[in-house]
Amino acid sequence: MEEVGIVGADLTPCKGRWVELSYYGLSQLAVKKTLEDAAIDIKDVDAVVYGIYNDIFEYSAIPEHPLHGIIGMANKPGMRVTCGGATGAYAMLAGYTMVKSGLYDTVLCLGVEKATDCFDFDSMTSTPEVIKSIGWSGDTFYERELGWTASDSYAEVVLAYMDEHPKDLSDEVSAEISAILCQQAQNNKYAQRHGEKVTKEMAMNSRYVVYPFKLLETCVYTEGAAGVIFANKEKTISMCKNNGKPPIWITGVGAANEHHVVGKDFRHKVMHRIYSDHLSAQAAYKMAGVTNPLKEVQVIELHDAFIKQLQVTMAEFGFTKLGRSDDLVKEGLMVPGGPILVNPSGGLTYAGHFVGGSNMLSCWSARRELIDKQLRRGMIHGTGSTIAQYGCVMIMERRD
Amino acid sequence: MARPKAKAKSKAKPRAEAKPRANQKPKVEKVIPLHMIPNVESEVIKIGDGRYLQSNEAMFTFYKRSKGEQSPYFLALLEKKRILGARCPKCKLVRVPPFEVYCPDCQFEKLELLEMPDTGVMNSTPPITYFANSLFAHMVPFGRGRVMLAGADTAIPIHVYTTRGVLTPRVFKKNTPVKVIFRKNRLGKPTDIFAVPLSEVPEKLRAKKGVEEHELDWSQSAEPPVDKPTPESEKSFKNVLAAFQAMSKAVTKSDRAKKDLSGWKRSIQVKTAGGNFLINIGKQNLKVKPGKAKADFVMVANNPKLFEDWMNFRDSLTNAIIAEKLWISKNKEFTTVFKLDRLPRSLRRTLETSELVS
Repeated sequence: MEEVGIVGADLTPCKGRWVELSYYGLSQLAVKKTLEDAAIDIKDVDAVVYGIYNDIFEYSAIPEHPLHGIIGMANKPGMRVTCGGATGAYAMLAGYTMVKSGLYDTVLCLGVEKATDCFDFDSMTSTPEVIKSIGWSGDTFYERELGWTASDSYAEVVLAYMDEHPKDLSDEVSAEISAILCQQAQNNKYAQRHGEKVTKEMAMNSRYVVYPFKLLETCVYTEGAAGVIFANKEKTISMCKNNGKPPIWITGVGAANEHHVVGKDFRHKVMHRIYSDHLSAQAAYKMAGVTNPLKEVQVIELHDAFIKQLQVTMAEFGFTKLGRSDDLVKEGLMVPGGPILVNPSGGLTYAGHFVGGSNMLSCWSARRELIDKQLRRGMIHGTGSTIAQYGCVMIMERRD
Repeated sequence: MARPKAKAKSKAKPRAEAKPRANQKPKVEKVIPLHMIPNVESEVIKIGDGRYLQSNEAMFTFYKRSKGEQSPYFLALLEKKRILGARCPKCKLVRVPPFEVYCPDCQFEKLELLEMPDTGVMNSTPPITYFANSLFAHMVPFGRGRVMLAGADTAIPIHVYTTRGVLTPRVFKKNTPVKVIFRKNRLGKPTDIFAVPLSEVPEKLRAKKGVEEHELDWSQSAEPPVDKPTPESEKSFKNVLAAFQAMSKAVTKSDRAKKDLSGWKRSIQVKTAGGNFLINIGKQNLKVKPGKAKADFVMVANNPKLFEDWMNFRDSLTNAIIAEKLWISKNKEFTTVFKLDRLPRSLRRTLETSELVS
């Protein structure tokens, strides 16, 4: 099997709304920047995988088809991946697999999403219509007609976790994590909330979106695009020699999707766990030879749809114990200078969540940290679908 | 198909209440609420030197959607006020609702339908939605949880309500005993049923099957009284009025804040222990004056300082409602509350941005 490396990654600025660019324009801009980062021509790319979550956001049932020619990939293979919130991570898993199998030498993953073109003419704001558009993703027979939302779906999981661990997930710790991520986002020029200052107190006092999630502890709706280029060992070495950046190797991947119905044991979803995160991380650790993630992983870009979910996911990943996720702050695990750097981009809460490509933003950021800070191992993660069903993890390493 | 039995009945003998009165249009519910549909229009947005065209559009598809193998469950709700589950004859697992025909754990053994009891417990603490999708905005706040009916191995997704006022996080917890209640007007949908705490169901109805919503006592909590004014509350009231004047002035200088209120018009009568005032939202701003007048809805907060805390980012109006420190007369006006809750942050961001620029 081929070894797989990352030779380039970049993205557009993340914005709450891009009036100036459609998703065609965002895609072109992201591809142009990603190719420049890799210092290669689009002719060097053998295939493309599109990460686009929601047809409604793009106003098209085959939203990738008009992108293929305009990014210079005409007459080459291209396929779209859509896996809810984890679309970007799964698209990269597909791109990685294409190279790993030896089918293609160099594969581009392009994640793009519009969102806030959707508009509710009753409230004269975008958000309720964006929530509605995501709402079409819920179970069509039993949940959607109950007003299912992504927020209340993840809240179900977090509240069930709090039933089991009532002393964990304190509001103070969640608010402090939010403030940490805001601070980190100021080092990300692409971040949607670059220039914004959110303190622990502001996060604590912000209004509930869905109990127990508060506004300033919730990811933002974003429009943007990102690209990541995977290549086999030979191409990775030659391309990185040319672009002057160290190769970043993918050494572990894992993915798992849980049942969409809640039950009493793991034949169905056990509500107080994010088992998809646990299983996907364990598979990736096994492949990469990681036995103690807290000591062996230096940076993680984790899909923080909600801060309290970030905390549960960190516990599912083994960085702390289930029921002790407040230790992320109380024991200094993820505070500045702590043993694990979590979401240096600001995460989806502050950098942005353009669903099809936000996990690629995470990949761009983790790679940047490995290169700039000369760290050895990083980890990226995507979660998605109802009740945190989907989990996808990728481990990346620097060997030089 | 939607309500086949009801349709047949309607043809045979129209119900008296279904007949439109003279000069009254028949009440027909549309699959897309008409008020949500915008006009065909376009506009030019200017950003810097650029001009960008945007137009009102919609992505819509109509369905005659079969519920297929899921039909027995919904027909049982619609016609018999019964809840069905499915049991695997091999592993004996009972799935509710009966969302599959075969057991994937037993080489796809065919499942057997069975009737379930209508009582059970909350599988976990349910979330409460305050900021809903646009189709459900008129229903907030509402809870959507999972009930594990007695004898079931999977939990049924369901709305949860309290018969005693606004739903707050203290009503339902994991293992709270509940009873499933049926709507009077059922459509064969998941919203035909909802759960209430068993403790709120009168003893005589607890064992009864197919209890309908009108059999419960839904008397709402009336407008709460406020305390008599004290020097402290009167002083706080004056501070609040002054703070509102300052906020109104700041809104005129904040594009973000103006956008928050864009296209919105409401009058709010606010009653506090320190005095009463009116908030008028319109023309991308809000104006406040003391006194009473007819308004779109009422807010009651015993302590006027609550509004100072809101303006200074120490609390939000939404959270104050959840904490039962603030009462509103119309739940659907949460939309207005959300708009108001955006203002302090927008003003702060405008201030920060202008400081950055300067």
